[in-house]
Amino acid sequence: MSQFQLVSTRLTLFAAFLAAWAILPKVGILDPRLLPPLGDVLAMLGKQIVRAQVQEAIGVTALEVVVAFLIAVPLGTVIGVAAAESDYFGQIFKPMLFYVFSVPKSIFLPMFILTFGIGFPQKVAYAAFSTIFIVIMSASAAVESVKADHVLVARSCGATRSQILTRIYVPSMMPVLLETLRISMIFNFTGVMIAEMYASRTGIGHLISNWGENYQMPELFSGIVLLSAVAISFNEAVRLLEGRVSRWRT
Amino acid sequence: MRLPSPATVRWGLLVLLLVLWEGLPQTGLVPELFLPSLSKTLVALWAQREEYFDALLVTLSEVGIAMLIACGAGILTGALVGGIVTLRKLMLPVFSSLYAVPIVILYPIFTAWFGIGSESKIAFAGIYGFFPVMLSTAAGIRTIDPQYILAARSMGATLPQQIARVIIPASIPTVLTGLRLGGALTIIGVVVSEMLTSSAGIGYLVSRYRTILDSAHVFAAILMILLLSILFDLLARAVERRTLVWQTAGRQSRPGAAGSSPAVPAPAPV
Amino acid sequence: MSAIEVDRLSHVYSGAEGGVPALQDISLSVEPGKFVVIVGPSGCGKTSLLMMLAGLRHQSSGTILCDGRPITAPDPSRVGVVFQEASLFPWLTSLDNTEFPLALRGTPRAERRRRAEEMLNLVGLKGFGARYPHELSGGMKQRVSIARGLVQDPPVLLMDEPFAALDEQTRMTMGHELLRIWSKTRKTVVFITHSLTEAVYLADEVLVMSPRPGRIIDRITIDLPRPRTYEMMATDTFGKLRERIWQQIRKPE
Repeated sequence: MSQFQLVSTRLTLFAAFLAAWAILPKVGILDPRLLPPLGDVLAMLGKQIVRAQVQEAIGVTALEVVVAFLIAVPLGTVIGVAAAESDYFGQIFKPMLFYVFSVPKSIFLPMFILTFGIGFPQKVAYAAFSTIFIVIMSASAAVESVKADHVLVARSCGATRSQILTRIYVPSMMPVLLETLRISMIFNFTGVMIAEMYASRTGIGHLISNWGENYQMPELFSGIVLLSAVAISFNEAVRLLEGRVSRWRT
Repeated sequence: MRLPSPATVRWGLLVLLLVLWEGLPQTGLVPELFLPSLSKTLVALWAQREEYFDALLVTLSEVGIAMLIACGAGILTGALVGGIVTLRKLMLPVFSSLYAVPIVILYPIFTAWFGIGSESKIAFAGIYGFFPVMLSTAAGIRTIDPQYILAARSMGATLPQQIARVIIPASIPTVLTGLRLGGALTIIGVVVSEMLTSSAGIGYLVSRYRTILDSAHVFAAILMILLLSILFDLLARAVERRTLVWQTAGRQSRPGAAGSSPAVPAPAPV
Repeated sequence: MSAIEVDRLSHVYSGAEGGVPALQDISLSVEPGKFVVIVGPSGCGKTSLLMMLAGLRHQSSGTILCDGRPITAPDPSRVGVVFQEASLFPWLTSLDNTEFPLALRGTPRAERRRRAEEMLNLVGLKGFGARYPHELSGGMKQRVSIARGLVQDPPVLLMDEPFAALDEQTRMTMGHELLRIWSKTRKTVVFITHSLTEAVYLADEVLVMSPRPGRIIDRITIDLPRPRTYEMMATDTFGKLRERIWQQIRKPE
């Protein structure tokens, strides 16, 4: 199949999915109380998005996501690079990180609540905590993707330490780093969502959790559609960028 | 001066961690509410051992059913997606786009649909575990060296023979990795959903004791979940090692693998 | 004055049980414009020696002079280096790879473009400047490496088994091409190889190294006329020279 056919088939399938969602509950084949038709959900989304309460919740969530990201990514990168660059440090911490990594982070959520309460700091702390391990692992992998041969060549050309950093390390690591950025954003976003759904007074996660408990299905689905659209858009945007900077990869 | 060996430092750190867990709350440096000491946690666990044991049984039964669903559906779908070129080209990009969506936001739908009993946990955790199993199975089948199939065909193997004698054995390593990741995720999925809304299971105990600020019992439950997931991981790795004695390290670093997407998908965020 | 002057160079690797002697008492001098090939068994320290000539590694004792001044750090204006395969930066085009040493020096963009294009022309890659390494064949990649080694116009070019990863046919062609480039630029070349045929075909002088610790155990002047041709490989003289080197290498200690 050609690229065009693939894309058009994918779009057709997607359209069929949307059509089924719009029609089946409407004509009563599926229970509209359990699955509100697409039209109702989108109408509800339009109604919700202009409500002050919802806008405030979105603002809070966005701020939590951004702050947690700005803490976890730089910190995790520094630790990851240190673990990859220093043999001794790496030998101590890498096997530990491996274990820590396979442990579910969400069970520590109650500790964050006991320590920070259920406000903004707790969301940020938990999201940063749930993100930092993947950043550390990916940053180490990024450093390890730098070839010793390339550093040697650069030195033979008389490169200084800072030139080796900017001209060899940065371009070698860039594709992996962007992937790290993308995946850590997924972790970060999930972290904020879990924290908000678990215990919170505001935020979009808190809203959908409430809507679910109160059987407000159109509201619930509109929230899920919104969150999915945002998450997918960000992910695809970074993937596009990844494709750009890794054009040299075979 | 010689530095101590990394392994020694690691064990040292673990011991230090346990000592701090016991010592910091005892000396009052950290309030007992934030961190109850190790001994208090163990005492709390022992005092309510029947309650914890019952909760463990609920959680384990949910995990068991969810794993069956996740692994069965995951291997089946993965085999189809990995084996049929058109389907793979059509669907794999879609799955990697969907990966960006936090699955946890779907949980309120499940509680609305299935109630707050075991069914919603099983549905949620089943989906949580399904994706890694499916993606690794697809990757396992896709990354089989075409030389193997070519060789088998040259020896006159029929399609069923190729599947039974080449494709299945050659894809087992990646599939097992997927089962380990997927299994771990079903455990997490069950616990998380129990923590969010439920009336039974270990995750429920975590949440119930948290709302009454009984830290020792919260930590006892956390400790149990930690042990459960570490035990599962050790068990799954042991199975992988036993099954894969023939596999050499070289397989992971085949030429041409660099730069392409990893054979095993990234773990899910939880 | 010699282009390269090595005086009583020795090197010991520090290891767990004391040091491992790698190079022992090496002295050599290379006249400007000469093509010198170093051969020796694997692990004899050929590459270590080359690294030291390039200023990439420090010797334990002894001195290296290039153009009369000691080499203590990499200096691409005096010494260009061509490594084995896979030393091009995959994220840069051929042109960007070639001008890399100039970019490090902060040479103006127009100037380094001009130099790099000149070098790509010299190595026979006119019009390939925009290609990425993965779009080039093995032979073409090594041509780019040579262009990069020559771009600062250093008097000395060091080559560490540059054609080892190529197939036999490409390897022969590249040897021939190298001689063409060398005769145009008249650089001093120090070339490391495992291939005795390649050594005799290229060299003015072949230096034979012993197994570890590496010492120079023979110097063989190759007095075949230049330009060298493929036909010479079939001659008696060529065979005898190669045989003499082989006898030195296989000689039991």
